[in-house]
Amino acid sequence: MKRLTQQSCEVPRSGGITALDSKFKICSEKPSNFRICYKALTWLLLILFLHPCYGFSQSSAESLVQQVSEHLQVFFKNKAEARVAVVQFENYSELTDLAMQKIYQMLTARLENEKLIKISDLLINFANGRGEFNLSKVDGFDYLLYLKFIQNKSKTGLGLIIFSRWQDKIVSIKYVEKNLSQGESEFLNTSNFAFPELGFSKLTEFEAKLNIMDIQSINGADEQTRYFLYYPDEIVTYLAKGERLEKQSSFKLKWTRPLYPTLNCQGKLLVFTFKNTLILTAGNNFSPYAQILTLSNNQWLETGKIDFMPFKQLVFNQNIYLVGASYESGKNYFKDKIYFMPFSDPAVISGIFEKKTFAAYAIDFSTQDGQLQGVHLIDRNYNYHLLTADFIEKTAELNKKGAGLAANEGLWLAVSDYSRQTDQIFFYDIKSGGQRPVYTGKTAGEIQFITAGIWQKLSGFWVCIQMPQNSFGRTMLQFWGKRND
Amino acid sequence: MTRQKLLTLPLVFLLVYAIKPYYGGEISLKLNEPTSFILNTANYSNLIFYSLIYENFFYLQKDGAISTHIFDDYRYETGSKTLNLTVKDNLSFSNGKPLTAKSIQSSLKKFLGSDLFAASKLNRIIKNIRLDGNQILIELLIDNPDILALMTAPELVVSAESEQSFSGPFYPENWEKNRHLILKANPFYAGGRTYLDAVKIVFTDDSVPDVFLSTPKSLKENFQEFDSGIFQNIYLCFLQSEVGQNTKIALYTLLKKFNEVSGFKYKELNTLTRDEESPVSIQIKTISPQKTTSILKSSDVKLYILASLSYLEKDLTAFLEDSNLKIETLFIDDSQMMNFLNSTEIKYILIDKIFQTKIPAEEKISRILKESSFNQFNVKYLRMLGELEEVKYSNSQELLMEQIARISETIINDGFIFPLFQKNYSLYIRNVWQAVEVDYYGRPLFQKASKTND
Repeated sequence: MKRLTQQSCEVPRSGGITALDSKFKICSEKPSNFRICYKALTWLLLILFLHPCYGFSQSSAESLVQQVSEHLQVFFKNKAEARVAVVQFENYSELTDLAMQKIYQMLTARLENEKLIKISDLLINFANGRGEFNLSKVDGFDYLLYLKFIQNKSKTGLGLIIFSRWQDKIVSIKYVEKNLSQGESEFLNTSNFAFPELGFSKLTEFEAKLNIMDIQSINGADEQTRYFLYYPDEIVTYLAKGERLEKQSSFKLKWTRPLYPTLNCQGKLLVFTFKNTLILTAGNNFSPYAQILTLSNNQWLETGKIDFMPFKQLVFNQNIYLVGASYESGKNYFKDKIYFMPFSDPAVISGIFEKKTFAAYAIDFSTQDGQLQGVHLIDRNYNYHLLTADFIEKTAELNKKGAGLAANEGLWLAVSDYSRQTDQIFFYDIKSGGQRPVYTGKTAGEIQFITAGIWQKLSGFWVCIQMPQNSFGRTMLQFWGKRND
Repeated sequence: MTRQKLLTLPLVFLLVYAIKPYYGGEISLKLNEPTSFILNTANYSNLIFYSLIYENFFYLQKDGAISTHIFDDYRYETGSKTLNLTVKDNLSFSNGKPLTAKSIQSSLKKFLGSDLFAASKLNRIIKNIRLDGNQILIELLIDNPDILALMTAPELVVSAESEQSFSGPFYPENWEKNRHLILKANPFYAGGRTYLDAVKIVFTDDSVPDVFLSTPKSLKENFQEFDSGIFQNIYLCFLQSEVGQNTKIALYTLLKKFNEVSGFKYKELNTLTRDEESPVSIQIKTISPQKTTSILKSSDVKLYILASLSYLEKDLTAFLEDSNLKIETLFIDDSQMMNFLNSTEIKYILIDKIFQTKIPAEEKISRILKESSFNQFNVKYLRMLGELEEVKYSNSQELLMEQIARISETIINDGFIFPLFQKNYSLYIRNVWQAVEVDYYGRPLFQKASKTND
């Protein structure tokens, strides 16, 4: 509570509002009346504390969020497609930063479903009692939201200010509070959970054969999504039929010497179309080369061999490149190099060049408009590294560790924990170049691999899980995505 | 506490159970120094050593399960009395040369050509071995669905024509005689490359190795004890019939005395197999020290000892020197011994036999008769073996025990083999190493071994 009086009144004398941590500025041409309104809010809070009858009978964090979102819904009722973003969020309660993230997620997830509001998620991180927001894009919004979590002796309250950028003034204030039980506080503070309906959650699950190495999909001309499940000796194709996958065909993969048998088969598949031809590359840790296969007259034909395992197709200087890595033969980690190969013909293998990185258990590439945005790695000490498109290591904002990872374009990053029996998956928002943890979910077995994918037009991640022996050691493929996307 | 700290704490804790197996590291193992890389599984130490560089056709787990790294598929067809083995595609020996169905066929033929007991059992039932692409078809004379169990013999390994290529999880890299031998991970190992980079076989006591064999229940801090299920019997054999009874008893008495002086390092053995399972105890009466000395003083005794018993050398030499007897000890390689059988050069020899505790007594006695009667093997023994086979199928334990007793008695009375001692083994593995398994034959399997703190 000490910080409340000292910091919340720190308002610039001129030129707009400065965020309390002074890192970001919200620029406004006219002087603001924010200070006056902030006092009004304080008064309002005081009145509410003194009159418990204004309190709410519901007692959960969710109901607090619900009431605030209802207020916003009423406020924006006649304002079509108002562009809105939360730009300030402070916490003066006993709840932790993690709890604040969850509350923030609950609110944004609700607002994402509101048709009249076009909410943007600018939160980069929540640390030391306050949110860090990417305020560089704030000029593009109509309304800015200020949130504040406070706590008195028995209740917890959430205050909301709606600031109109066009009117340059506070246009609405709302405060709600309720009793937050100790159990719920602890739950918010310590439990990691996914929001089944609001955030990343397991949307579907299939059993796969042992040793599955990857799953990729592609949309056909018939608008149907075909899934390719990659095993050491074959690729099986499936067609999505409602909630299930229907097997279409399979084809055997022929590998030749030298072959390095391994205790843990790992591999990567890449499916793409090139000049109206369906192309597939398949690499792994037991063969030193990856196969390039093209679909011709419904037959997959090997058209080439590459010395590395392609992960993605990228655009560099308006040319298409395959980018990938190469396993240490027979082992479970990649060599310390990233390979690039210009791709102009499936039969032409030349011009490969490499960039030095780290030996890594997992690698993936995030992209933006087809261009390389960043390289994400988990090194052999389980440390996460982020490299820029220029292969310069960027200091990670969070001291993250993991075992497997995958990037979904330039939007989300999924990282698995590195524990046996019961694993966890962490989802990070990488849209703004940061790595803000947003959701976590527990899994009942060991995560074998994660790969970005699509299920029923929803973008997300396929997660392969090896169940423990008491679950008959089954291999499960789960799809994690945001249902409201 | 900040969010990062909240996350970091459980993650640091979980690092101990890190999900990705760590590739790298070297494990040290104390064994007897081999004489060459040519397969010789005559003793327990060799059994372990050669299992590191040669791959078995099949493995027999302690729970009786059979597994293989070489074959994609194996099935026995009763109708055609044929065992079909399908070799995995694209296998290679340690030097990258192809390991094919033909390699398997020639390895099997090599094994069947040996004079091992396990080979003779298999030889009796195999009609022919054919190749069909990547399949090996083993046709049997009689229907025998247990053929696979017979093929789990530790001596049945995949060998290459070249001595420089190996099929096992490791291959020899560097041999510093009398000190150590470095084995490197075989990148082409059919079972999948080991997590370990190397195994260091040490032959000295300079430092405590990660894995070693020792007597059971020797309390070792930071080590886990595994019951190997293996014991080693040591016998005194007389290869020439002209050796007098007095000399035999005197030499036997002297060696019994040696064990006594050494503080009974080895368990006394009064049967041909195990005292716990044998229906008869063999009581060979020893003579007084004075009489022993007077008999042996006039004899010029050359006592041959198999190289697999080289651990006796130091103590035995010292003991014989103290006894002031003119007894010379000569160590010979197990493989060399067969060459001496038809000469009169070897009169006295100490040999050893490794047995698996779980193997039935009748199988052990058959093996002793076949492998240790040397040139004494005759029609009489052949008949006894035939009778033993018959009573095996009579379902009468009493008859079986009686036949074992008869064979034991005949062998001892014929006076060419005297049981001396028994050595029991436990395998000790340093606690930091995880996932080391021990198979039915008491061999440590390092395929999935890795260090816990990596």
